[in-house]
Amino acid sequence: MSAIKRIFGLVWALMGVGIVPLVIKQAMKEIAAKPSEENWIFWSIVIVVLMPIIAFSLITFGVFALKGEYDTLEDS
Amino acid sequence: MAQNVRDVSTNEEVTSTRRVIAASSVGTLIEWYDFYIFGTLAKIISEQFFPKDNPTAALLATLATFAAGFVVRPFGALFFGRLGDLIGRKYTFLVTLVIMGGSTFAIGLVPGYKTIGFVAPAIVFFLRLLQGLALGGEYGGAATYVAEHSPAGKRGFWTSFIQTTATLGLFLALGVILIVRQSLGVETFSDWGWRIPFILSVFLVAISVFIRMRMSESPLFVKMKKEGKTSANPLAESFKQKGNLKMVLIALLGATAGQGVVWYTGQFYALSFLQNACNVEFVQSNFIISIALLIGTPFFIVFGSLSDKIGRKYIMMAGMLIAVIAYRPIYTIMYSDANLKNKVEIVEKKVVTVKNAVKGADSLITTVTTKAFTDGTTYKETVKAKFPVDPALKAALPKDKLKPETKKEVTLPQDLYYKMIGLVLIQVIFVTMVYGPIAAFLVEIFPTRIRYTSMSLPYHIGNGVFGGLVPLISTRLVEATRPGPGLPPADPLAGLWYPILIAGVSFVIGSLYISNKTNNMDVE
Repeated sequence: MSAIKRIFGLVWALMGVGIVPLVIKQAMKEIAAKPSEENWIFWSIVIVVLMPIIAFSLITFGVFALKGEYDTLEDS
Repeated sequence: MAQNVRDVSTNEEVTSTRRVIAASSVGTLIEWYDFYIFGTLAKIISEQFFPKDNPTAALLATLATFAAGFVVRPFGALFFGRLGDLIGRKYTFLVTLVIMGGSTFAIGLVPGYKTIGFVAPAIVFFLRLLQGLALGGEYGGAATYVAEHSPAGKRGFWTSFIQTTATLGLFLALGVILIVRQSLGVETFSDWGWRIPFILSVFLVAISVFIRMRMSESPLFVKMKKEGKTSANPLAESFKQKGNLKMVLIALLGATAGQGVVWYTGQFYALSFLQNACNVEFVQSNFIISIALLIGTPFFIVFGSLSDKIGRKYIMMAGMLIAVIAYRPIYTIMYSDANLKNKVEIVEKKVVTVKNAVKGADSLITTVTTKAFTDGTTYKETVKAKFPVDPALKAALPKDKLKPETKKEVTLPQDLYYKMIGLVLIQVIFVTMVYGPIAAFLVEIFPTRIRYTSMSLPYHIGNGVFGGLVPLISTRLVEATRPGPGLPPADPLAGLWYPILIAGVSFVIGSLYISNKTNNMDVE
């Protein structure tokens, strides 16, 4: 079980890293295609609020899991 | 004799616990009511406070304000959570209640955009931020307060009453809005009647403040303070110490993020989907949600109580997994049952009425088409075309200004109405599974000295940010499938991908990393 938790830790960390360029690229593409106020508001919320939370929490959580910080939690 | 003394003591404890639960729950319920009337009246608020020229922009602006209300919740959690761990639970969640009540009342008094221009949306935006801050501080305080009064082995049961308040708050908001709207009529309600539910809040809050003033501080906090064991810096202790930070992360990614999206999909998104994608008539769609919420609410207590016996994790994870699997089929049925293309029209019952009126310099042509279908469904389409009487002025206007305003209303027959209630109820049951045990789960993974701060942040990021953005992101995902302006979206269910993805990831993380052995432990 501990090995699975650690392997998945790498997955979460990579997901956290990968989401940043993916979201920024999509935002640039959509804003360039239609630079409307709605697009700016939407992508600002995603980039300023949602993306940092997802990226930071997934990377930190993934690194902790990879280092075996969660191995000791019983019955999980 | 000894037995009698013990019985009296036990009875007093039960009465005291009931009083604690009642006083905490009523206040939290009112805070949720305050918070949700804004979201429920989003469309009217967008008309009142944001420029009308572009209805989509106005709606998005409101959604952004709505999101802002959610996004600031984690900051409220940090600010008030810290206060609660430093000075006590009781006074902190009393302050949050007053801030919430005051902001809600004030929103009801702000003059519209037509009267004071851009100052109006700016004030509303500010007040909405205050609401978000207050809510961020309230929930963690109430959950902690009740949990710290509850005995081990019954914490899931007792805190589940706090968990009912969010749904009951939404129910109360929908109920008050429906009653006021029905009493005043649609026109008056849209004009000024929408302010009444906001203004009403001041009376509810006054009652709740009075009740809470008479409550005593949490016994665990009092004991800790007497022993001088309170945290000097709850923020640093919660998020800089690896042992606590890793629990905050597991709580967020493995529980509250998934719970947040399931909560908002089952209640808010369901209502929005019924009204905007299925075009179900306003009163009927609100009744569908309200009845489903009312029937589903006791299940918060059922699952909270069950979590004391079999553990919090299994129930929460089961709720997330079933939701992920069932959302697409449920919404496919909802869409199909309301879709007029799947129904046979009784052509001879079609009625078209046209009214032409002149209002000042404008001509207003209202065309109302009503249709009946063999399964008992009725459809009403109102098209309002407004343009200057003067042909020269009319010719000078851009085409999009002359675009008529169309309102579609589908009224479902009795059998489909009940079926819709059933489909929404299933989603509410998912909500009760993920949300019923979560307060006890969060309380049990953090120590008393930093509990208010540590549990509030993952809860409000999960529920407020991940969950609160469901309407905005889901609307966007549906819009992305629209082949062109004015055309229907290719996939009206595309909005579900966001909650499915978040709940799916949360399920995997929660199943792998969360321990099921937290129930029945002593909190200290």
